[in-house]
Amino acid sequence: MSDLEIQADLGRQARARSPRRRRISVAEALAGAFALFLIAAAFAPSLVAPGDPLAIDPLSAFQAPNLVHWFGTDESGRDIFTRVSHGTGGSLVIGTLATGIGLGLGIVLGTMAGMLGRIVDFTVNRFLEVLFAFPGLLLALLVILVFGPGIQTATVAVGLATAPGYARIIRAQLISVRSAAFVEAATVLGRGRWQILVRHILPNTLAPLFVLGTLGIGQAVVWASALSYLGLGAAPPAAEWGAMLSAGRTYITSAWWLAFFPGLFIVLTAVTATSLGRALERRLRHA
Amino acid sequence: MHSCIHSHRSAAIGAVLAAGLLLTSCAASPGAGGGTPVKGGTLTYASGDAEPTCLDPHVGGNYPQALVSTQYLESLVSRDGNGAIIPWLAKSWTESPDGLAWEFTLKDGVTFTDGTPLDAAAVQANVAHLQDPKTGSSTGYLALAKVTSTEAVSAKVVRFTLSAPDSALLESLTQPWLAIESPTGLARGMDENCAAPVGTGPFKVESWQKQDSVVLVRNATYTSPPADADHTGPAYLARIVWRFIPDSASRFAALQAGDVDVIDNAQPDTIVQAEKGDSITHLDAPRPGASNRIELNSSRPPFNDPRVREAFIRSANVDDAVTSLFQGTAKRSYSTLSSVEATAVQRPDLFGYDAKAADKLLDSAGWTARDAAGFRVKDGVRLTVQFPVSTNQSIPAERSLFEQIQATAKKTGFDVVLTPMDLASWYTALGENGYDAVSAPYSKVGPDVLRILFDSAGIVPAPSGYFANHAQVNDPEVDALLTEAAAVTDADKRAGLYTQVQNRVLEGFYILPLYDQQNHYLLSSRVSGARAMPTVSTPTFYDAWLPAE
Repeated sequence: MSDLEIQADLGRQARARSPRRRRISVAEALAGAFALFLIAAAFAPSLVAPGDPLAIDPLSAFQAPNLVHWFGTDESGRDIFTRVSHGTGGSLVIGTLATGIGLGLGIVLGTMAGMLGRIVDFTVNRFLEVLFAFPGLLLALLVILVFGPGIQTATVAVGLATAPGYARIIRAQLISVRSAAFVEAATVLGRGRWQILVRHILPNTLAPLFVLGTLGIGQAVVWASALSYLGLGAAPPAAEWGAMLSAGRTYITSAWWLAFFPGLFIVLTAVTATSLGRALERRLRHA
Repeated sequence: MHSCIHSHRSAAIGAVLAAGLLLTSCAASPGAGGGTPVKGGTLTYASGDAEPTCLDPHVGGNYPQALVSTQYLESLVSRDGNGAIIPWLAKSWTESPDGLAWEFTLKDGVTFTDGTPLDAAAVQANVAHLQDPKTGSSTGYLALAKVTSTEAVSAKVVRFTLSAPDSALLESLTQPWLAIESPTGLARGMDENCAAPVGTGPFKVESWQKQDSVVLVRNATYTSPPADADHTGPAYLARIVWRFIPDSASRFAALQAGDVDVIDNAQPDTIVQAEKGDSITHLDAPRPGASNRIELNSSRPPFNDPRVREAFIRSANVDDAVTSLFQGTAKRSYSTLSSVEATAVQRPDLFGYDAKAADKLLDSAGWTARDAAGFRVKDGVRLTVQFPVSTNQSIPAERSLFEQIQATAKKTGFDVVLTPMDLASWYTALGENGYDAVSAPYSKVGPDVLRILFDSAGIVPAPSGYFANHAQVNDPEVDALLTEAAAVTDADKRAGLYTQVQNRVLEGFYILPLYDQQNHYLLSSRVSGARAMPTVSTPTFYDAWLPAE
């Protein structure tokens, strides 16, 4: 093996090497457990909470948390634990899809900017700067203004709003990987441009993207809830966390549990996604 | 006698609501303040109703406009707590024997806040303004439908000529939507007049910062209180800041924190909470006119079939919803009319919750099959009820009530689609006949509101584009009864005709009555002398005062 070939091989190994074993912290364990709960609630809500999230029982409205209704009941006597559990699927799907849209668009734009030469780089960068001029949520509101409120629009809106950030990071990552020694080596060895991109550059760019995506799901869930909270996403009486928070806010002074539990789940989901993302990041960095 | 502030305890709520008129039989001054009125001070009012797009209630004519314009505009006549018409800008009036001409004699020495004198020509200009299609009036326009011309008999006497006798004319004229504005002000054009209408009221519009507040200042030369006011001369308060806080929780928090002195559209849970303490008093003033109800669009399927309408009504468990959501602050209605109206007919026999009867009715109407989701289908079409909900015109508790009706109606097989909308989109949905059920408040003084809501003429939009017969009742017998009732002057005969109309409408299952139009004001106990007008229950702060700082 020549020196150059060793360099090129190292590039491939950089992603293949198994991470060094680190001890799992308490926070990570808790985050993992909550993530498992969320996944269970998302895929089989009836296992977690067997009731109907829309079933009303007016005469047992406004019950504080108790042994029968763990999270209490809302203004129509609906069980809040059931609603929060059944809302998980919706929130996670919106979060994941929106992050997928954002990352997908980010990869396309970032790769164009990073790989297709100065003119494209310049154009894409200016375009991203224009998008950056709007705060993300405002950009999402703009999309909703054009396409009308609803769950699908909200998902696309959050996806579009997060895309510029991802595109920036991917571009920077591409440029740094592009000038790495193992890429130089591959170039010198006469590998084609396309082959270098697919075999050497993208794999070394995507690992950090996985971390970004995990972090991003938390943010997307918060934003999607925010849109529903503003009445621009899921409509009541849908069991969606943002919509529930919005409906519960009316009774915040007399029945705190209506708003507290959906809010708690939004926060915990964001925190879980963030700590899992950070844990992944640390492991990749130490690799 | 007039409506008054209640700081009653919960036990009394039911009784008070049960007899809407009972409200009007207590003294005007609230319990907390008492003593000698203090001059000066700024009262801050926070409204939960939509911010008007125009401060002139001639334009369009909705309740948010009436709330604020009661402070700066005045009407020809008013109504006292017993329903009797009393003098206001007109000191007396006469009706011709054939009922086709009315003469109003105006109070002397009244001027608008721009210096224009109140005279017969001014009243004529107002009628012309209301009837001009360019004004886009709906409420005032409909109320003056029978007025064909006006004439200045002398400087202070104005004559209205009618196409047919109108037993509701005086009641109509008490309303803020038919208030008398300065003709000089009207001549400025709609934009300027909308921004700051000029009236004879105890306050005048100083400025309007959109999406925030309207600032009103005292009219120092005020001379024209209605006959049932507590004092004469200028108002006590120096200023009113009229804020818009659409979020009910924030509004109540602002009142608790002392940032505002009065709020409207109080949520049931906050009323219950306020009644436990001493720092906030509760003014309950149900609006006159129609009860709050769900109107079923009888012009298109599925509600063009009376059996389906009855099935929907029988499938809705309204009683439990009212109990859980309104916590004793609202009483179930079984009438087309507000309990404030003496002619209201209550028919509890027609509106009981009976899921079995609903099932039978739908079976007989041919909606026998059910799809996978449990909704009924007929000829491949799902039994869907499009229900646009205006978020500006309903408090959250009411929207929750619709959700509960949606849930109980689902058991019978109705797919009720609730679509929250802002006011503009909601008007559009109604205009396009894109609804099967809708809940639209309609306040009007007197039982003549039945003509507006149920006469087939009400299917045709007013110049503003708004039409009020949302149930699209098109029944020649109802029309004939309404026409007769509007023309008779004999009170007993009139009441009898309105009873017949109501029974026919209620038995036709065009509407599902819910409760009186809720109109709860919460006031800081610092505020003394505030009351609701016995006309359309808007608050007036003419007699109100705050303790010295």
